[in-house]
Amino acid sequence: MKHKGIVLALVLIGGLAVSVGAPAIAAAPDGRGLVNLIRIAKTPALPIQVLTRLQIDVRQELSTCLLAFADRDDINLLRRNGVRFTVLDRNAARREFLVVGIADPGALASLRAVGHAVPVEPATAVFWTEEGSALEAVPAGLPRKAFPPRSVLPYVRTRPDSTPAPSMSVAQDPLVETIVSLVSSSNLAANVQMLQDFQTRYASTTNCEAAGEALFAGFSALGLDDVHFEPFTFSGANSSRNIVAEKRGETANPGIYIICSHYDSTSPSRLTLAPGADDNASGTAAILEAARVLAPYPLDYTVRFIAFSAEEWGLWGSRNYAALARLGGQPILGVINLDMIGYADAMPEDLQIIVNGNSTWLADLFLAAGAHYGVVGATKTVDQSFVYSDHSPFWDNGFPALLAIEDNPLTNPYYHQTTDTLDTLNIDFLTSATRASVGLLAELAQPIKDGYPRTPVGLYADLTVYRSLFKALNTVRLHWTAQTDAAGYNVYRTNTPHFGYVKINSTPVTGTSFSDTNVGPDPTYTYAVTAVGPAGLESNRSSDAQWMTMYLDGLATAPASIRAPSAVPSFGFPVLRGIR
Amino acid sequence: MRAGRLAVGLALFVVGLAAAAPAQELSLSFGVGGFFPSDGTYRMIYGSSLSLAGDIWLKLKGPIGFAAGFGRLTDTGVAAPSDGGTETYPLKFRRTSIPLIVFYQFDAGPVAIRLGGGAGIHSYRETWQTVDLDFKGHKTSPRIVLAVSAAFLKRISVFCSGSYESIRTGEGSLPAASVNLGGFQVLGGLEFRIF
Repeated sequence: MKHKGIVLALVLIGGLAVSVGAPAIAAAPDGRGLVNLIRIAKTPALPIQVLTRLQIDVRQELSTCLLAFADRDDINLLRRNGVRFTVLDRNAARREFLVVGIADPGALASLRAVGHAVPVEPATAVFWTEEGSALEAVPAGLPRKAFPPRSVLPYVRTRPDSTPAPSMSVAQDPLVETIVSLVSSSNLAANVQMLQDFQTRYASTTNCEAAGEALFAGFSALGLDDVHFEPFTFSGANSSRNIVAEKRGETANPGIYIICSHYDSTSPSRLTLAPGADDNASGTAAILEAARVLAPYPLDYTVRFIAFSAEEWGLWGSRNYAALARLGGQPILGVINLDMIGYADAMPEDLQIIVNGNSTWLADLFLAAGAHYGVVGATKTVDQSFVYSDHSPFWDNGFPALLAIEDNPLTNPYYHQTTDTLDTLNIDFLTSATRASVGLLAELAQPIKDGYPRTPVGLYADLTVYRSLFKALNTVRLHWTAQTDAAGYNVYRTNTPHFGYVKINSTPVTGTSFSDTNVGPDPTYTYAVTAVGPAGLESNRSSDAQWMTMYLDGLATAPASIRAPSAVPSFGFPVLRGIR
Repeated sequence: MRAGRLAVGLALFVVGLAAAAPAQELSLSFGVGGFFPSDGTYRMIYGSSLSLAGDIWLKLKGPIGFAAGFGRLTDTGVAAPSDGGTETYPLKFRRTSIPLIVFYQFDAGPVAIRLGGGAGIHSYRETWQTVDLDFKGHKTSPRIVLAVSAAFLKRISVFCSGSYESIRTGEGSLPAASVNLGGFQVLGGLEFRIF
């Protein structure tokens, strides 16, 4: 019986692992007729809460629309609620749908030659086939992504964060600067060469697996806390492995930051020769180097360095990882995905930072880090339709993520060619891009400085509303855990999350609580606390306690007192400069 | 000050009316008593309040008369926390009222019973004493009153009255709330008959 139980558990775990990575196939709900694939136009007036209430199965968010499965009842409900949509396929049950980039001339025609393709945006089509695997039918060279296995509606927002990033022309953190300065051009070039030397890293080949072994060995040599393979299957009987290396945070903050890339490659001769120096030995070399320079430094937050596989097959490695992370409730606070960061078509080259509406803050911080540490220009683009790299599955699962890429659209003439080799790369640009990425990662993860107090932990906020006949006083009371090496604490507040923190206590707080009285009508209040040592040195900032005024606005129905756990990271390093 | 000036103006108006009209009787009453608010939030924050009032009663020939006055209500309280709040925010509330009524008087020997109705002009202010929060408002509301006086000297009577007002302000600290500053007021005092 005991063995039966173990076998059953393994079967269940295996089933889960297969299911999270499985292609999204629409299944007809019992007794509810045929399933349609529909396109819902995204407008500022689109009532997301209506879609949520109707439990619409949204599988892909793009810049201008949502792609969803809907049966007849859903269609009727959408019409009744005034939601505008168009039907793309009336027989969507049991089909595998892909989003495919059709920016290249002739792309749509080549898709239609092998299956059904319906443009849903100027540069994006939905593709499916009547029989067989749609992923395998897509012509080589066209970017593609399968629908995620479950609804992305909980993470959709119609209005991107338009909060402008504040000026960041401030001094640099000397410790982060030291870490960044350790990034070595020669190491990066050697890492690219090492990966290129496998001839091909096309997922499913033994060479790709060997490259994974080499990366595993490379991470293992750095003295990180954990390095392991995460195997997965894809596209039938194929299998490959992600390599996950972890440096654990030393402060009791639960958050995780990820820097990732894909190490597999492709080309027209992918089974024998796909050097993939730019795509994507460059990004993988950068994360290996990031792990090397960060390894010796204790950090507040956990950092994971992940090399994904089977990206070129349709983001399989990251799809599998991100879905399991969401199912496991992992507190991933931000993801930096590096994909093609070594080719410069013209100097000075700048990086393109692509984010969705939930991740704009991450791009703003990257731009600042680029200016401070990478000496590389960067341009932010909010584009939910750029779903063809490993950041996209994180978006699908509600995690903030950015893609750093050299050009959008791509200009590298060696892209996906057998000529994508180290000699075509600009190592100075690769070094600058890596330094910017490491600078951002270090700022997020917060290196712990010798001689400074430890970072406060356990911050949470209680809201109490004091009422007279005509006025209400909203008082946010903050509580945190005492640090033994702290002589006092400073409390910071911002109403633009991740930026612009302002100290709100006049003298260091001696206890472990603080009341912020008469908070105004701003939409969001975010608090963080630092510890001040006897010599006046100030620690890193705690995790944030965030307060939303939706509770303040809805006092009649809100819980009388609401506790916000400290689950939000603290950002805004430019402000910290002023207090260090 | 504005309310005081208004009260003085109204008193002069009533005196003038008394001089011009076929007045039968003019008297002045002063009372002190309690105010019992009808609004639950008001009661929770301030409880019952001490109130002071003075009125001029002008009875014309026949049973009908006019009255105008001045009332002042002051109280202190503490802001009510939603839940778990441990801090104390002292409050001060003041209300100045000018009642204007028409009354019908029954005379039964030395006892006069007046039943009246009219309006009250109110000015009120709530102040948070340790936080920079303040609220001022004005409102006119309906008012009914029952007053009884019993003469025990030639021109002096024992006086008592009860009144009710509903002062719906249309405003409050909760969304869609409307605080009612009205309630019952009971006064006792003396009345002096001028002629």
